[in-house]
Amino acid sequence: MQSSQVSFIEIVAQLGQGLIYTLLVTLVCSATGMLVGLVTACMRRLGVAWIQPLISAYTYIFRGVPVLVLLFIVYFGLPSIGIKVPPLLAMALSLGLISGAYLSEVFRGALSSVDSAEIIAAEAMGMTRLQVFRFIELPQMLRFALPGMVNEFTTVLKYSPFAYTVGIPEITKQAMTLSATTLRGVEIYLAVGVLYFSIFRILLWAVQLIELRYRIPGLVLK
Amino acid sequence: MALIEVRKLVKKFGEQTVLNGINLDVSEGDMKVVMGPSGCGKSTLLRCLNRLEDSTSGSIYFRGEEITRPDVDVRALRQHIGFVFQQFALYRHLNVLDNVTLGLIKLKGMSRAEAKRKALFELARLDMLSSADKFPGQLSGGQKQRVALARALAMDPAVVLFDEPTSALDPVMSREVAELMNRLHQEKVTMLCVTHDLQLARQISDKVVFLDKGVVCAEDSIDQLSRHHPDQKIRAFFGQESNS
Repeated sequence: MQSSQVSFIEIVAQLGQGLIYTLLVTLVCSATGMLVGLVTACMRRLGVAWIQPLISAYTYIFRGVPVLVLLFIVYFGLPSIGIKVPPLLAMALSLGLISGAYLSEVFRGALSSVDSAEIIAAEAMGMTRLQVFRFIELPQMLRFALPGMVNEFTTVLKYSPFAYTVGIPEITKQAMTLSATTLRGVEIYLAVGVLYFSIFRILLWAVQLIELRYRIPGLVLK
Repeated sequence: MALIEVRKLVKKFGEQTVLNGINLDVSEGDMKVVMGPSGCGKSTLLRCLNRLEDSTSGSIYFRGEEITRPDVDVRALRQHIGFVFQQFALYRHLNVLDNVTLGLIKLKGMSRAEAKRKALFELARLDMLSSADKFPGQLSGGQKQRVALARALAMDPAVVLFDEPTSALDPVMSREVAELMNRLHQEKVTMLCVTHDLQLARQISDKVVFLDKGVVCAEDSIDQLSRHHPDQKIRAFFGQESNS
């Protein structure tokens, strides 16, 4: 039987290949989300008036659309009007932008935790609005937003298997192939679960290190 | 010529008139105290002086130049006017040293080393050198106020404005701040302080300006105002506060 001929090493190697794609998709979508979330939160905070309704509409709509639906619109829908989108870019434009909408709200909440007295003090000192944002608000916002950011990155990781629907051979896709050829679905999907959990733990550990490095001694948020 | 001259200053928020024709002079080396009941416009007056609030009408002159004009470089002006806030307003993510150096580096264009030297000098002047590496959350209220003052003084302002500097402090810390302000007064630092803390006012100044309903009602010693002023309301304000 063919199934018994696939060795453990081969299974690990194939899942390892998928792992690289999973990490790539997660990284690209998280980076897109982070960038979009940051830019929209900054524009909201700096009061660029004309763009406020656009940002509100973006966060409202993108938080309500399922990832898979948006992914299909981008990957399968856009070619019908002559726009062909590569798979990874399609992931960034769907999962990445949805993540950006959530992160924009996370950053908005974190910004509201910055003490307004500090902002006034910086302005009273003679700083421009941009300097106040850059040196007072942004460093605090990133610290306060860290737990929300971890949640969002974890969500992106968990939605990354959708990438297989547009042909990216990430872990879940590899597991499906292996499961079909080896008929050892339980062990393989269990291994996939362990891999996802390991990535999550590494991410959490990295964030804990960052939190420790940038924590503000003596700070108690009210 | 006074360092700051306020003439017929009016500030309205919508229909509400908060300052109603204020006249006030602050000369070089002065330690001026403005007192009055809550909501009388004390803090608004300070905020108008460094253009955190724009006045509705009237004029403010700083070193003879009218600063209420719309074309004034507000950010340059603010660098000459130090501000110490009621709630300290220290930057929580920066340690004490960085709180003081930030403005020197980003606004005065000093090098990091130069800014550090200046900051350490100011911190030593206010007995806060040993806390240079601490963060605001690790300091007592009195220490925070000293750092806020060091941050303001480091910018070499022509005048330091104090907005209720002791209202968030216990009596011991309030006394410390008062002693510090007296020391700075002896060093010829020009200061304008708004407060309703009568103890502080007694400790730092012989005369106070009494503000009520947006108008300067009196300027005299606290004893004169509490015992001999013809307006019963003013006598009551200072008498009541003296008893409390």
